[in-house]
Amino acid sequence: MFSLSKPILSPVRPTLPPVRCGSRELRERIKTVQTTQKITEAMKLISAARVRRAQEAVVSGRPFSSNLAAMLNDITQRLQNDDVSTPLTHARPVRTVALVVVTADRGLCGGFNKSVIRKALVRIEELEKLNLGCVVISVGKKGNSFFTHSINKKHPFVKVDSFIEIGGFPTAKEAQVIADDVFSLFVSEEVDKVELVYAKFVSLVRFEPVIQNLLPLGEVCDVKDEIFRLSSKEGKLAVERDVVKLKKEGEMCFPLMEFEQDPVMILDAMLPLYLNSQVLRGLQESMASELAARMVAMSNATDNAVDLSKRLSVEYNRERQAKITGELLEIVAGAEALAEND
Amino acid sequence: IREARDYDHWRSCLSTNSGQIGVLPNHAPIATVIDIGILRIHLKDQWLTMALMGGFARINNNEIIVLVNDAEKDSDIDPQDAQQTLEIAKANLNKAEGKRQTIEANLALRRARTRVEAINVIS
Repeated sequence: MFSLSKPILSPVRPTLPPVRCGSRELRERIKTVQTTQKITEAMKLISAARVRRAQEAVVSGRPFSSNLAAMLNDITQRLQNDDVSTPLTHARPVRTVALVVVTADRGLCGGFNKSVIRKALVRIEELEKLNLGCVVISVGKKGNSFFTHSINKKHPFVKVDSFIEIGGFPTAKEAQVIADDVFSLFVSEEVDKVELVYAKFVSLVRFEPVIQNLLPLGEVCDVKDEIFRLSSKEGKLAVERDVVKLKKEGEMCFPLMEFEQDPVMILDAMLPLYLNSQVLRGLQESMASELAARMVAMSNATDNAVDLSKRLSVEYNRERQAKITGELLEIVAGAEALAEND
Repeated sequence: IREARDYDHWRSCLSTNSGQIGVLPNHAPIATVIDIGILRIHLKDQWLTMALMGGFARINNNEIIVLVNDAEKDSDIDPQDAQQTLEIAKANLNKAEGKRQTIEANLALRRARTRVEAINVIS
């Protein structure tokens, strides 16, 4: 004998916004999200590996910088009595400034490109208020496309001198192209000051857009080479930034060292090398910052994909249960109807 | 950065702005500008030849430190590519107009010629 009272179902409040699509679309959506998660995770791992390569590039460049700085210090000390001036160290009244803006070639690295471009724009506006001219040398595809399409509308006085694309890890050749451009602009007095806008590598989760003065060259002080080391701390990727004071390799120098040529010529030969190393350093830091930013962005994207996949699975299962429950209710109602007729 | 160090059996030749210089053991300490030219190092009965693209060198304490913008070993240079680059550079020099273009074309020509010479060094 069946019970005569019908079951009363209390309405279940949805804790999530309802998904308005069928089961099939929902299932396909879950697959898509999981595929995206695999892609973003792979990109995260690739970026982590390339950060290490960027670190090695910086470390391998240190002997050059170390020896160059030591020699420059030594020679400038010897020439202190003489009033020596070369084109690259000549400071003159500033009427035009050149900005070398270093951005990435690809996106998917969080706010990296936008923050560097914003830093450059702020500087451009400062120069505009000071009634100074501005010339831009853009490095990287993202910066190139921005300065091609957007800059002339808001800041028509800005002249874009050249676009440079590196497309990979920066080497001395790419730095040479930029340094040559900067050199010719400065020596021909088209610009009176050159600044480098790039993202300085701070840690794996942070970078800082900075503006570094390139020309005229100031006094070369002791070189403190901050290097970053990628390490595994408690199973997670971590970075430690050391300040390494490079040893002075010129300390063993004989006091009677001869100069084969006039000291001015020697300085003329050394300073372009120094300029090149400064540019290369900026490019390498920018590359490391870009890779770290991409690693963080892809890590966040992976986490978001996992959360979204779980949520969609819950919705899918809930919809399946609702469907099954509906069918069960129909069967029970039919059975009760038959029972009443007996 | 290139360092060559062997106190008893080494020699080297450098192209400087004021001509080529040879460096033997116990050379006097000097600092010199490196022109676009060829660096040759003799070490253990073998000559190593490199094309240098300008820079700076320092000789001190039986040690030579050469800092250059760019350097290529003779074994790394492709002969046909180098020869072709030289022909192109010559043609560009003939077409160059204006002082700046002439200077740049001249520089490219010297670089290309140095790479060709690095391959064809008689040793």
